[in-house]
Amino acid sequence: MSETIAQWRGFKAATRLGWEISSNWTQPLIFVIYSVVRPLSAAFILVVMYRVISGGAPGTAAYLAFLVSGVAFWSFVQYGFAGLSNGIVEDRGEYKMLKYVYTSPAYFYVYLLGRGLAQLGSALASTVIVLVVATIALGLPIDPLHVNYPLLLVGSFLALLAVIGMAMAFGLLLLQAVDAHGYGELGAGVLYVISGAIFPISVLPGLLATLASLSPLVYWMEIIRRSLLGTSAVRMFPALSDGDVLLRLLVTTVATLIAAHLVFTWADRLARKKGLIDMESNW
Amino acid sequence: MTHPSAVRIFLKTIVARSYPRIVASFRNKTWVITETLLPLIGTIAMIYVYRALHAPARYLGFVVLGGVLLAFWQNVIWAMATQFFWDRGAGNLELFAMAPTSLAAILLGMAFGGAYVSLTRSVAVLVVASLLFGVSYSAAGLLPALGIFVLTICALYCLGMLLASLFLFYQREAWQLADALQEPIYFLSGFYFPVRSLGAVVGGVGSLIPLTLGLDAIRQLVLPGTPQFIPIRWELLAIVVQIAGYAVLSQVSLRFLERRARQDARLILRST
Repeated sequence: MSETIAQWRGFKAATRLGWEISSNWTQPLIFVIYSVVRPLSAAFILVVMYRVISGGAPGTAAYLAFLVSGVAFWSFVQYGFAGLSNGIVEDRGEYKMLKYVYTSPAYFYVYLLGRGLAQLGSALASTVIVLVVATIALGLPIDPLHVNYPLLLVGSFLALLAVIGMAMAFGLLLLQAVDAHGYGELGAGVLYVISGAIFPISVLPGLLATLASLSPLVYWMEIIRRSLLGTSAVRMFPALSDGDVLLRLLVTTVATLIAAHLVFTWADRLARKKGLIDMESNW
Repeated sequence: MTHPSAVRIFLKTIVARSYPRIVASFRNKTWVITETLLPLIGTIAMIYVYRALHAPARYLGFVVLGGVLLAFWQNVIWAMATQFFWDRGAGNLELFAMAPTSLAAILLGMAFGGAYVSLTRSVAVLVVASLLFGVSYSAAGLLPALGIFVLTICALYCLGMLLASLFLFYQREAWQLADALQEPIYFLSGFYFPVRSLGAVVGGVGSLIPLTLGLDAIRQLVLPGTPQFIPIRWELLAIVVQIAGYAVLSQVSLRFLERRARQDARLILRST
């Protein structure tokens, strides 16, 4: 019982720490604006690109909704993946506290899960605001009363587990580098291309398309659009039912978590062996 | 003992500050990877968006040219605007302030070195993306486009010097502010679509950033059929005015903010 309490305390402390690091540099209102301005601008870029090509023809709302929903939910990956993996490196290099986390009673996994959850909290606000603004401004066919919330929640839960798992493994890998500035964003950028967030993966060349189909993020994006837009959703997998997509998301998430655990364990062992946990890095 | 002239010190400072950037441009392998791949991946993602929309081929060229200038913008934000913030954190800013030279010369050195570094990255983006996606350009417009490109980069780095002095007043939020100056600027400058699509008001506001007009002019010259935002000669004139304007503003701002920073002890204030 006391062990469970110790882990819970560690988790709570990590979540609070992650939230404070992300948000206490400014006032809450400025923080909300900061959290929203990037994804909102990214959505505007795609909207203009689409309007330039479609010429504002009628019946374009469905594809706009495809683009906007992808960008809005991408904040979870941006914050969860780039934010957490950068956070691990910052804990070592900038705050010089990674060694203390290792020596604390909380399991390292529990600590990272807490740090990751804080990042996802920031992403949630950003996603909701982008969706609301875009739905009103662009007249997207998203009706909050007709959203399939159970499907959205289950799909998002699974996908975010995969995102946090990937971020933990990637963050541990980054400990091998003396200077890992920008690598979190780079990793998120690669995922962006193969996630189906802003274009269907069918436009990718063969090898990349195959790689993309092994990623849980593609099925998550499909579930997001189906649950938000219902039958008007532009589908990447029209032959698959909602259950089939959810099953694929489950399988790819489990596979991702296993692979992430193996990479994490290997990178962790290597980091300890080479004395990288408290290494001075470029800050 | 003779002392070197002020001009000589100024010029030697520029060379001294640009030297580590030029040397480090290939020495720090991890930065080579991020500085090249980050704009390249963003460019590739947007190219696939246009491919999914079955856009005409010249739109792929719009994106590639946007990606080329994006490398410069990232350098201006992360290695010019925020540089004094990093330098302060590392303890260098107080050494700069004590040295018998001016911060303006140090900023100019950073700009020269940074422009060189960005050039190497942007050439990589241009070549790789153009070859991968078969983008072609009008040969007739290449030389004038190169001229406008050089002027645009001059104006951009003058803006970078202005931002660097402003960033002296930021603490931890400098990082977040620089972060927030990415997608909004990509949007306002029309990195991935013709600037004309933004309309007169938004495009006009975006034109305060030298990249907007430079990018539009370059696209008009090397990608025939680009919707014209304003005529090239007006864009050229505006960029020249921006070079002079941002250069003067940066010096005024630097003097004022350096004085304030000394008064408020912000030159030595460590913030991480």
